[in-house]
Amino acid sequence: MKKKILLDSFLFLLVALISIGVTSCITGQEDTAKNCDERLITVLNPAISSRMVERVPLAPRIDTLEGKTVYLVDLQWGGPKAAYSVFEEMEVWFSRNMPSVKTEIRRSSGGSFGDDPALREEIISKKAGGVVIGIAG
Amino acid sequence: MGASGVNIVRFKDYDLQYSNGMPIRYVAFPFPVAGQPRSVHKSYIEGKDLLSGKPMMQAIIDALTMPLTDEEKKEGMPAEAAPEPRLLEPDTEVNLRRLFKEREWTDFNPIILPAEERAAEMLKGTSHQPDEVVSKFGSREMTVEKAAIYAVMAGAKPEYFPTILATLTQAPSFGNSTSSMANIIVVNGPIRKQLGINSGTDVMGPFSEANSVIGRTFTLAGKIMGDLRLDEGAYSSLGSNLQYNNVCIAENEEALPEGWEPLHVQMGYKPTDSVVTIGVGWSYISSVGEAQINHPPHMMFRDYMRSLTGMGATIVMDPTVAGLLKETQGFNTKAELSEWLSKNVEVAAGTYWGNGVNTTAMTPMALQGMEPFATWLKVPPETLIKPFTDPKAIQVVVAGGGIQTTWFVTDFGLRRGVLIDKWK
Repeated sequence: MKKKILLDSFLFLLVALISIGVTSCITGQEDTAKNCDERLITVLNPAISSRMVERVPLAPRIDTLEGKTVYLVDLQWGGPKAAYSVFEEMEVWFSRNMPSVKTEIRRSSGGSFGDDPALREEIISKKAGGVVIGIAG
Repeated sequence: MGASGVNIVRFKDYDLQYSNGMPIRYVAFPFPVAGQPRSVHKSYIEGKDLLSGKPMMQAIIDALTMPLTDEEKKEGMPAEAAPEPRLLEPDTEVNLRRLFKEREWTDFNPIILPAEERAAEMLKGTSHQPDEVVSKFGSREMTVEKAAIYAVMAGAKPEYFPTILATLTQAPSFGNSTSSMANIIVVNGPIRKQLGINSGTDVMGPFSEANSVIGRTFTLAGKIMGDLRLDEGAYSSLGSNLQYNNVCIAENEEALPEGWEPLHVQMGYKPTDSVVTIGVGWSYISSVGEAQINHPPHMMFRDYMRSLTGMGATIVMDPTVAGLLKETQGFNTKAELSEWLSKNVEVAAGTYWGNGVNTTAMTPMALQGMEPFATWLKVPPETLIKPFTDPKAIQVVVAGGGIQTTWFVTDFGLRRGVLIDKWK
């Protein structure tokens, strides 16, 4: 009788241990996952592919900014004064280091998310040498 | 436009060049820029470009004058990027769990690995085909099968899946902004009872499987679809703890005072429709204690709403508060309350413009002469203005167990609800 109880207890313990092992494989508790370490499993890939879009080449560069006009366009992220002095400091830098460069600071009326067609037209019509646009985020 | 251009960015560049079809030359400034004193801006100009390591102005001049590379001259369709395989390489569970963490495909709480058979079981929850597109983000398309993967990972049951699919039509509106945004998910209609989505006691707490799992799925899907990884696309300065569950709640429609319509009925749906509504916002302010007779809840809403942007608000209130407002204050509908708040919330113009989101979003309109923003920009900063110009942007959701007269004022701006029944 005592032997049978011991055997039953052993079998119960064995079943319980196997159950814990199987459960850990299914539920994936990392601390007990050693039981299923060797088994290879296959799962679906959560990542989503991106698709390429048609490329448009970058506008040709000029050789030098010397004697050219550079537009400094503030997108007004954070408001009209939030980053304006970035462009004022750029202007100071050009006047000190490349005095032949003419700078025009503008605020984009479209802000950070919209367009400013009038400003684009002005930049094109004035044949600007370059445009620095910022600063967002 | 014909002129050479260079963009200034503030975050770590992550190969944006072809996202819009045109390569763009960037320089990168350190954080933060907006609102910093001129001395800081000067130090950035005199400092280095974070992308190239060159002196900032040299980097800008180079970007404007260096000849185009062969890559920058290319046009037409590029070779197709290698698509993501449907299945990951077979591996041990431990290694796969490590991979999911390394790729930041989790919220770092335990997930269920998305085995094919589990996803197949989830797909039984809808009649829609696995390849049907649920939502798009740029060129990335989330299919029904991908949604099933995220639902499995979050621990969802197949019967949750139509609600999850309806929710994910709004993905990846995860609030990935430097300003640390968050979402709210509100469920209305018979599906609440069918799925056991909590609308009563502790509606916002961790006491309901359906609320927990549906809300979590939205975050997992948003992170993965947006490829949001820490400092690699995810750049909220503080982040929001609300993003773990997205305030996923149901409206306690049964406890609405007479005349107060459920949220989805206000939007034009039938009471028998099941609808999920998603909102985006930042702030979440508690009443803390119970309502007071001498300064009743609607006046407290007004006071709290002075802290919000003015773009939108959602007030989540216990049914006891709704009952008080109707019986003692005479608000016979939600719309009457919204109207009253729209007329009575006032802030100083300086406070309004002191909010960076208001300033960024509304200043261009003000400068173009659009009212009332143009006037608000001109008036002295101490002038009181009424920022909630649209009463319909002030929403009311009744939820909770009727235990205490408490409420939350939030600035979640709700979009139009999505019909869940369509996704069954």
